[in-house]
Amino acid sequence: VFTKSNYCVPICQNEMHFGADPSPVPFLLHQAWLEHHSRSLGLFIDGKFVCPADGRSCSLADSKGSIVCSTACAEEADISQCASSAVNGFKSWSSLSCNQRAKVLLRLVSVLGQHGQCFSELCELCEASCSTAALVRLLQFYSSWAQLRDTLLTDWTPLGVVAVVTSKDCSLYSLLLKVLPALAMGNSVVVVPGQSTAPPVLLLAQLFTGAGLPAGALNVLTGSDITLGVKVSQNHSISYVNYSGNKEDGVMLCKATAGMGVPVSVSPCIGAICPFIIFESADINSAVDEVMEAAFRKKKEVFWVLCVQESVVDSVVAHLRLRMAKMKCVTLHSEADRERLDAAVQEAQQLGATLVQSCADPTSGAQYPSTVLCGVAPSSPCVVNPCPGPLLPLMTFRSNTEAVTLGNHSPHGQAASIWTEDLTLALETARSLSVGSVWVNSHSISDPCLPVCGHKDSGTCTDGGQEGLYQFLRPSSSSPPLPRSSPVSMDYTQFGTEASPPIIPDESDPARYVSPQSHLQFVAGKACKSVSGCSVAVQSPGGGGGVLAYCPDGGRKDVRNAVEAAIKVQPGWMKKSPSARAQSLYSLAKGLESKRRDIAAAINTQTGLSMDEAEKEVELSITRLSVWAAYCDKVQGGSLPMPNSGSALSIPEALGVMGVVLPDKNPLLSMVTVLGATIATGNAVIMVPSQKYPLPALAFIKVLQSSDLSAGLVNVITGSRDQLTVALANHSVIKAIWYWGSAEGCQYLQYTCTSPLKTLRLCKDQEGKDGELNWTQCHPSFLEEMWRSAVQWKSVWIPTA
Amino acid sequence: MRILGATDDEVDKRQRSLSLNMSPRNPGTTLGFHAETLNVRCKVTTGEVSEAVRDLEWISKVRVNTQAVLKRAQFIQRQKIPKKQWQAAWLLKAVTLIDLTTLAGDDTSSNVHRLCLKAVQPVRYDLLKKIDMHDKGVTTAAVCVYPSRVTDAVRSLKAANSSLPVASVATGFPAGQTPLETRLQEVRIAVSDGATEIDIVINRMLAITGQWEAMYNEIRQFREACGPAHMKTILAVGELGSFTNVYRASMVAMMAGSDFIKTSTGKEAVNATYPVAIVMVRAIRDYFMSTGHKVGFKPAGGIRTAEESLVWLTLIKEELGDDWLCPGLFRLGASSLLADIERQIYHQVTGQYAAYHDLPMA
Repeated sequence: VFTKSNYCVPICQNEMHFGADPSPVPFLLHQAWLEHHSRSLGLFIDGKFVCPADGRSCSLADSKGSIVCSTACAEEADISQCASSAVNGFKSWSSLSCNQRAKVLLRLVSVLGQHGQCFSELCELCEASCSTAALVRLLQFYSSWAQLRDTLLTDWTPLGVVAVVTSKDCSLYSLLLKVLPALAMGNSVVVVPGQSTAPPVLLLAQLFTGAGLPAGALNVLTGSDITLGVKVSQNHSISYVNYSGNKEDGVMLCKATAGMGVPVSVSPCIGAICPFIIFESADINSAVDEVMEAAFRKKKEVFWVLCVQESVVDSVVAHLRLRMAKMKCVTLHSEADRERLDAAVQEAQQLGATLVQSCADPTSGAQYPSTVLCGVAPSSPCVVNPCPGPLLPLMTFRSNTEAVTLGNHSPHGQAASIWTEDLTLALETARSLSVGSVWVNSHSISDPCLPVCGHKDSGTCTDGGQEGLYQFLRPSSSSPPLPRSSPVSMDYTQFGTEASPPIIPDESDPARYVSPQSHLQFVAGKACKSVSGCSVAVQSPGGGGGVLAYCPDGGRKDVRNAVEAAIKVQPGWMKKSPSARAQSLYSLAKGLESKRRDIAAAINTQTGLSMDEAEKEVELSITRLSVWAAYCDKVQGGSLPMPNSGSALSIPEALGVMGVVLPDKNPLLSMVTVLGATIATGNAVIMVPSQKYPLPALAFIKVLQSSDLSAGLVNVITGSRDQLTVALANHSVIKAIWYWGSAEGCQYLQYTCTSPLKTLRLCKDQEGKDGELNWTQCHPSFLEEMWRSAVQWKSVWIPTA
Repeated sequence: MRILGATDDEVDKRQRSLSLNMSPRNPGTTLGFHAETLNVRCKVTTGEVSEAVRDLEWISKVRVNTQAVLKRAQFIQRQKIPKKQWQAAWLLKAVTLIDLTTLAGDDTSSNVHRLCLKAVQPVRYDLLKKIDMHDKGVTTAAVCVYPSRVTDAVRSLKAANSSLPVASVATGFPAGQTPLETRLQEVRIAVSDGATEIDIVINRMLAITGQWEAMYNEIRQFREACGPAHMKTILAVGELGSFTNVYRASMVAMMAGSDFIKTSTGKEAVNATYPVAIVMVRAIRDYFMSTGHKVGFKPAGGIRTAEESLVWLTLIKEELGDDWLCPGLFRLGASSLLADIERQIYHQVTGQYAAYHDLPMA
């Protein structure tokens, strides 16, 4: 009830106000929960909260700067306690039936129905954006996958203990998009959240335990920065490390775990530069509204760059100017951000950029008006090195092709938003953009049913969808992973620089002496010598027989030439229809068949295998090529339901140019298997045959020469393995390296291939021990795992009414 | 428009301006077929306001993305609405924007008379007095009737000493399926009977078949027939088929000189919806950007609750800004809405929920 005295109608000259900000609703539930923990949250280990061993903690402040609670800082003792709990957790969790696991995930949904309010309050307090609805969707999606794991993913088995590490700026949603599938597939998980997301994650872990998750299946370790993530990853119980967050921390994690023998996947989803492309055929009004929403929100994970077709740029800028006029300033994270923004805007203006700004620039404080920088170019510092804050660079393009060029011309490949009412143009552009997610006439939609896979420098793993489950599984036929190794101390600058032994005329018994044959390598469709002109000697099997042949000593320049040729033909090869690719592979198989005797002989002389067994290997190789040919049109995505209405496509795409360092075992079969997996999926490949047994691969060059594969699609370079590994690692066009070789080589690649990120598939050659691939097997999961490592996924979202 | 805290002078001014409470009139634009005018000319950016020559060919190029508009509409509906006394203020504001309407076959002078008196005193005097708004001239924006009832309405309002404008629908309302000559005549008669606002309906046939130039010419003639009366053009969006067509029809209507564009007659299956309104107000914004003329917007049909009226105000505030929140540029066409708003204000003032009979009927 109000009276005259307190009644004040805030209508004044047509200004409609909402009144004072309503006093914030007292968040009672989460406060009660925090109070219950005395505002000092411990670690979550073995199904309960545990105080850290040395009692250290750091405090967490909310956006206004007041202390919310403190979180524990885990130390070595806690990590090992956690790891052993996770190992036990894995045992009990993975021994449950699929149905039981699915039930636990579903039960969490109903638990959330009860405690959802507390969870969302806590999320809001910690600015860890993840709505309860989104979480429920995730849980329902992954519980169905948990239920159907053994039905739809036969022959796959969980990895063990998975560590999910995030940087401090990573959203809760991205974190859960890794934690939940890992759990659904039967792994136990150790989560190392960023500090601000820690309280909701801890609450969730507690709720999960309440929903029936066995103790130890989900443990949460908190700390102050990424060093904890590094320490956890170094623990020997961890089978797989999955990181999400900013690039710097990701690189640090990769480097720190090099040589530990644990695969590390990285999705640097924070800080990617994403194009927002407006074509002249777009609904300009809607596009402008959405770009403002995307670019000027307070907490944004990516940097948008607005690309507008020249013919409509005036209209877009006029709309922006009118629409932005009444926007309020955006609150920044810190005063330092404000200084950086001021400097960036000033620099842009000096380079001729004009501003469209919402309101007058507040003179002080951590606030900044929404700003569009018109007239910048791809070379402008604000585009190359964007700084956090409500800044939106605007560039123009002339044609549809130029839009794609502009959008692709960045090291990032996270996502793009394209605006056009022209369906053909939309699909063509979506196909041509090298990004993981394309949103047509929309932006920032996410749903667990579609894969999220950063291309280029934006990631080495696929999350979400069925595609994203395989990272948490291994083929049941593969032998369990080897015990973890310790990194060797090595000088990364010296690796692979050792010169090959010089070849000098030798004076062995002249009567027996037949000059060993000199082989050629295969670069850009031509059999040729190495650029250096040097050769290395190939020893005969058993070591005692002396020099068997000479093969080229390939190096950096050979790799360079091969990549040049490969990158030219790879897009054309990928564009070919799957059946055309299949035909090429079939004819390759046929070519191998016609030269079976020569190649069997090469295997025989090279490895000392009996002629019978050699022929068997050739036979298997022919079959393998035919299998891959058949796979060509089976590797496909599909159309998936959108969360609301519309269509979404998931498309497998080739990685690009791949480098492969082949194992000594089954020199022909292994080469043919890898060759088939890579080119069947549309990649170009540069193969380095086993340094010890190169002859079968070199004999295979004849088959390649007589095939109809475009020149440069497949290259074979022989020589020192280490030297060539270094050459492959240091070429940025190469998107992925599959490596079979020394522990040092693995460590070198893990350490080096971080900038730009390369997808690595490393396998240590350990003589006489299990753990090597059995190349002769033909389990479906063995081949599936291989082609899945040779593709990256693209999701195209086309919401419709 | 200032309601509270206004000096008596200003209130007087408003009272005087009630009959002329329209914004400056929209002269419309002439048609030209020049290649260089294919795009919107953004006069706003240069501050230059002149009669722009626009091309109808450009109209046919405009595209509207349905799902993006729907998403925007959801966003608008999710916006927080004001609470407590601010809500009361917004509701009072909404009252002043209502075109209180009766458009039924059984309208007679007696129910039109009741309507007019309700329009003059839309909220119970004692309620307004309690919140000190009784002397601020709170009336609805206009009354809206059929052409044959214009004389009745004008007479009733005159008798009540009110200068409230009388709006009349015309041009073969609601279908518009009568000969052009009789439609024009209808407009002229309504104006001569004292209507100062004419709600015309467009010829849907022309819009659906894409005969934009013919539609332009027809509306131009209506505009001439209106003379001094302001013209509101009803697009009957429920029958236009697509958002793109709604945008095009809005643009042509404005180019032909409409002072308002209005969603629907209230007689179609689909009436005023938020998504369609977004398309129309965006057209208004684009027209303003290219010509500098502000054209008004009137949603009508199916607006019944106080809460809906708040969403409508929010929509205008979000899409066009506060400038448009005045009777000269925004109207709510409604008949039963007022009763619900009055009940809400009753609740705000007294803390009790009113029964319908507690409040005077229209």
